[in-house]
Amino acid sequence: MSLLRGLLGMELIGISVRPFLDFQERLTLLDSALILDVPLGVISRIEKMGGATSRGENSYGLDITCKDMRNLRFALKQEGHSRRDMFEILTRHAFPLAHSLPIFAFLNEEKFNVDGWMVYNPVEEYRRQGLPNHHWRITFINKCYELCDTYPSLLVVPYRASDEDLRRVATFRSRNRIPVLSWIHPENKTVIVRCSQPLVGMSGKRNKDDEKYLDVIRETNRQISKLTIYDARPNVNAVANKATGGGYESDDAYHNAELFFLDIHNIHVMRESLKKVKDIVYPNVEESHWLSSLESTHWLEHIKLVLTGAIQVADKVSSGKSSVLVHCSDGWDRTAQLTSLAMLMLDSFYRSIEGFEILVQKEWISFGHKFASRIGHGDKNHADADRSPIFLQFIDCVWQMSKQFPTAFEFNEQFLITILDHLYSCRFGTFLYNCESARERQKVTERTVSLWSLINSNKDKFKNPFYTKEINRVLYPVASMRHLELWVNYYIRWNPRIKQQQPNPVEQRYLELLALRDEYIKRLEELQLANSAKLSDPSTSPSSPSQMMPHVQTHF
Amino acid sequence: MMFFFLFSVSGNASNPEFKKKKNSECLLRLRHEGLLNSCPAGVASCPASSCPFRSPRSPRLKLLESALLLGPRPTAGGMEFSELIRTGRAQAELLRGPGAPPLRGTLCVTGHHLLLSPGPQATSDLWLLLLRSVDSIEKRVAGDSGTITLRCKDLRVLQLDIEGVEATLDIARSIEALSSLESVITSFPFFYRPKGLRLGDAWHFHPPEHYYKRVARETNAWRLSEVNEDFSVCPSYPRAVIVPRAVDDDALARSARFRQGGRFPMLSYHHAPSGTVLLRSSQPLTGPQKRRCAEDEELLRAVLAGARPGARGFIVDTRSAQAAKQARMTGGGTEAKAAYPGWKRLHRPMERGRPLQESFVRLVEACGDLEQSMDRWLSRLEGCRWLAHVKEALSTACLAAQGMEREGACILVHGAEGTDSTLLVTSLAQLILDPLSRTMTGFQELVEREWIQAGHPFQLRCAHSAFSHARPKHEAPTFLLFLDCVWQLGRQFPLSLEFGEGLLLALFEHAYASPFGTFLCNSEKERCLCEVRTRTHSLWSGLNQPKEQRKLRNPLYVLNPLAIWPSVEPQSLRLWQGLFLRWTRPPEPSEAAWEKVWQIVTDKEKTEGSQPTVSASEPQP
Repeated sequence: MSLLRGLLGMELIGISVRPFLDFQERLTLLDSALILDVPLGVISRIEKMGGATSRGENSYGLDITCKDMRNLRFALKQEGHSRRDMFEILTRHAFPLAHSLPIFAFLNEEKFNVDGWMVYNPVEEYRRQGLPNHHWRITFINKCYELCDTYPSLLVVPYRASDEDLRRVATFRSRNRIPVLSWIHPENKTVIVRCSQPLVGMSGKRNKDDEKYLDVIRETNRQISKLTIYDARPNVNAVANKATGGGYESDDAYHNAELFFLDIHNIHVMRESLKKVKDIVYPNVEESHWLSSLESTHWLEHIKLVLTGAIQVADKVSSGKSSVLVHCSDGWDRTAQLTSLAMLMLDSFYRSIEGFEILVQKEWISFGHKFASRIGHGDKNHADADRSPIFLQFIDCVWQMSKQFPTAFEFNEQFLITILDHLYSCRFGTFLYNCESARERQKVTERTVSLWSLINSNKDKFKNPFYTKEINRVLYPVASMRHLELWVNYYIRWNPRIKQQQPNPVEQRYLELLALRDEYIKRLEELQLANSAKLSDPSTSPSSPSQMMPHVQTHF
Repeated sequence: MMFFFLFSVSGNASNPEFKKKKNSECLLRLRHEGLLNSCPAGVASCPASSCPFRSPRSPRLKLLESALLLGPRPTAGGMEFSELIRTGRAQAELLRGPGAPPLRGTLCVTGHHLLLSPGPQATSDLWLLLLRSVDSIEKRVAGDSGTITLRCKDLRVLQLDIEGVEATLDIARSIEALSSLESVITSFPFFYRPKGLRLGDAWHFHPPEHYYKRVARETNAWRLSEVNEDFSVCPSYPRAVIVPRAVDDDALARSARFRQGGRFPMLSYHHAPSGTVLLRSSQPLTGPQKRRCAEDEELLRAVLAGARPGARGFIVDTRSAQAAKQARMTGGGTEAKAAYPGWKRLHRPMERGRPLQESFVRLVEACGDLEQSMDRWLSRLEGCRWLAHVKEALSTACLAAQGMEREGACILVHGAEGTDSTLLVTSLAQLILDPLSRTMTGFQELVEREWIQAGHPFQLRCAHSAFSHARPKHEAPTFLLFLDCVWQLGRQFPLSLEFGEGLLLALFEHAYASPFGTFLCNSEKERCLCEVRTRTHSLWSGLNQPKEQRKLRNPLYVLNPLAIWPSVEPQSLRLWQGLFLRWTRPPEPSEAAWEKVWQIVTDKEKTEGSQPTVSASEPQP
């Protein structure tokens, strides 16, 4: 640790600031006017700009590209070799994997009074959903990840499917990601099932076990004759996947299923789209044609398609009373978006702070969304084709929902931003590695701190004061371009011309009012107590506490 | 009593008994709604002596009255209306868009309203639409029924399915005729007698004298002049105006002759913290010969002298430099630099008139177009240019406000006539700078002083809204643009305005069609001629009733003594969904949070309120 603590002897032109790496592995610039605080995990790329012969102000120094929509540029003096040292130290600590160094989360010795790793317990979560039941059982077939190495060890499958059936189905699904239960409707018992694409290939292969298995899933709910399959991809992409051995469920093979394509594009399209968003917001906001520039990024259009898909899933399960199977290609990107958003719409439990943590932990982390590949924690290869802002897109969708339903979520915007900040920061183990088996090998839960420890030990900061707890209300957001907005407080927060209004003034004022009311009620009670003490017979007083309080409390 | 029967001439209900019963039912309901507390005959005999203005019927005014081409006065019984009503009633179903259930019942057209009276077994109340608020009407017949689509000035779209082809056509024609009546004194405000309000109330709320009292407390460099007492110096100014103390009435009159429409520079706002002032006027009539006017120059010199020795001034011209130059060819122009020492001219071109109306129409079209592929929504929104106009207005207002607050300079704002973009800039600048104008009463006073009494021609500008097929003449949504800018301020400073979106929506609705007289006519002079102040109710007294407060107030308000500088970055400006998507979006979730805030505030006030009761009930020792 002491190794990291040393100041980097570096002088910046103009202002005398001293960037140093502190014990939390953050790049911090201290100056009376400016505090810049960047966790090194956020850095995706470090470049030297200018050479010994560069002339002109600010032409020599370091250019740092971050994963969270900002770039930093340090202008340095050319004398000495301070830049070389700075560059080396930054590179070592921003990209520890390339230098056989541990990721910061393994060095972080922070202590919290709650243990975030305890938040998610799959057995408890399935029990909350009423599982196992007559039709669904919990299986430990994947205990040592031998059935599917990217799935969690504990799975919920149809009661009537034997372990042998599961193994045979696994051979016909991409990366063995067989259809397993994500969520069950508490009343009509329809289910959301997730998996990867079937391995149909060019020849149009069929698999009797897979067909039978889907039929068994359909039969767990006797209300409707067909199982609905949502393929998240555009139709053409699904067809194209046949060339690489994948594909989709054909009508001929699956008589009792109907298939819909949801037209959501792949990780590469999303990455390029976000790149364009960055281009128009940082460092300067594209002023003259803001809206059409925003449109040309297609970011909001992608958000719309993801939300529309999730709404369809939720509606099918809730109103259509039909069980739903969701997959894309591998079932760890778009599938996770769709199942988790649909669950958020259907189940109010997931709209609480802990419920949301469980949702992320379950649908994203345990089911193998490839966080390490998508984010590239500690990896210097910034141009890797595996990078993609899929999880960010999910959080954006959640934000859009919270905008449209201001009282439905227990958490506020700060909660979502904090999650995204630590998606990159490498301070916590929560988002490290691609799947549960890898996390288990690295003993992540023992050796790192969970992000939920930070959040749950200071919940007040992340609470939405307008939250009204509701049970069984399905939220259908309006997924029309008219009602979607760019999340300015996230994407444009680093723009130097935007003044941050933090914390949210409306929330603050509301809390103030709440506190004021409580104080008034307290004072009222005290006065009433004093009052009734003075009266010999309190029942004659028109304002005795027993009579006043119900009136005051009607709205609690 | 005659009122209603006369208007339902050819009812198609076959049973006369039923008809009679229906009519009396409607009458009862009308009376309940406060719509029939007095009949037109009663209003026509309204005593003019109660007019608060001195000599309201002076010979000069009478002359002007004939020039104004006012509509005919209603004779006893209101025969003019009955001639326009082709049919009184029909069975119809009303579709009110998403969220509201359809309504079935008997449809009636009266002189000012479209009524739908649900059957006796129905639980819902009488549905009522002011005919004046109909912007366009479209009829379709098929088989033995018809459909009328009403597009209202508040952007609502209503559909009426009517039984009978004849009835449909007749009702459509009646609505068409009645909704486009131009006469002011036969309009509904002259008949509206709501319960609980008295005529003449609240009309005296915001006279120029009232604002002058505030200015006089802050400085004595200004005086209240009655040079325009009979509206002869400037027909679009109020009777009393605030002007530099050093300038006498004769000089004002001469300056007025040098300004378009007689709108000489007058005080709009005195900014006490910096001791500077905001003035407004119309363009100077320099013309191609570059004429000058000594009194006008003296007036502006006196403004600087009154502020502080050596004070500077900026003239914010809301036209481009080129447009201002071109205006000379038609007799207008702009202040020559040499003639006004100490004043510097800045040009901030702002859109007005026809292009602004077209922008509004395009935006409403885009918002209502639910079928078109929405992938192009953002570029279409941009193509409407409405947000660009919002940005222009706010940045020009910021410029004016900055000049006063940070440069300590006096500001004169004008464009051409000085009745549109000029008022937009001066009123917004005050909201930015003046915490008092952000309170409920302060804002109402601002609207009254800077828009209504300042002579924004509401009747011309708001004759039609965005749906009308009529060829636009003088329509322009300048006032709506102002409300939109205020909404943007409120969004960026959610605690600093005492009023909420509800008040802005109400002002928009009432500016285009209202049972109240506040937004009638184009100027104080016309309002005086029509006796608006004595014969109609003021919107302010309507809005300031306790039952309306919850809709209009911002429960989170805390006084912010500072200037509020809005961001005009493109990502900071949003489409005002509450107005433009008001009738197409589901309202309920977004209102839930608001409802929670109200609950807490009411709870708090209740506890606050009950506290003294408790102490008071303490037995005295």
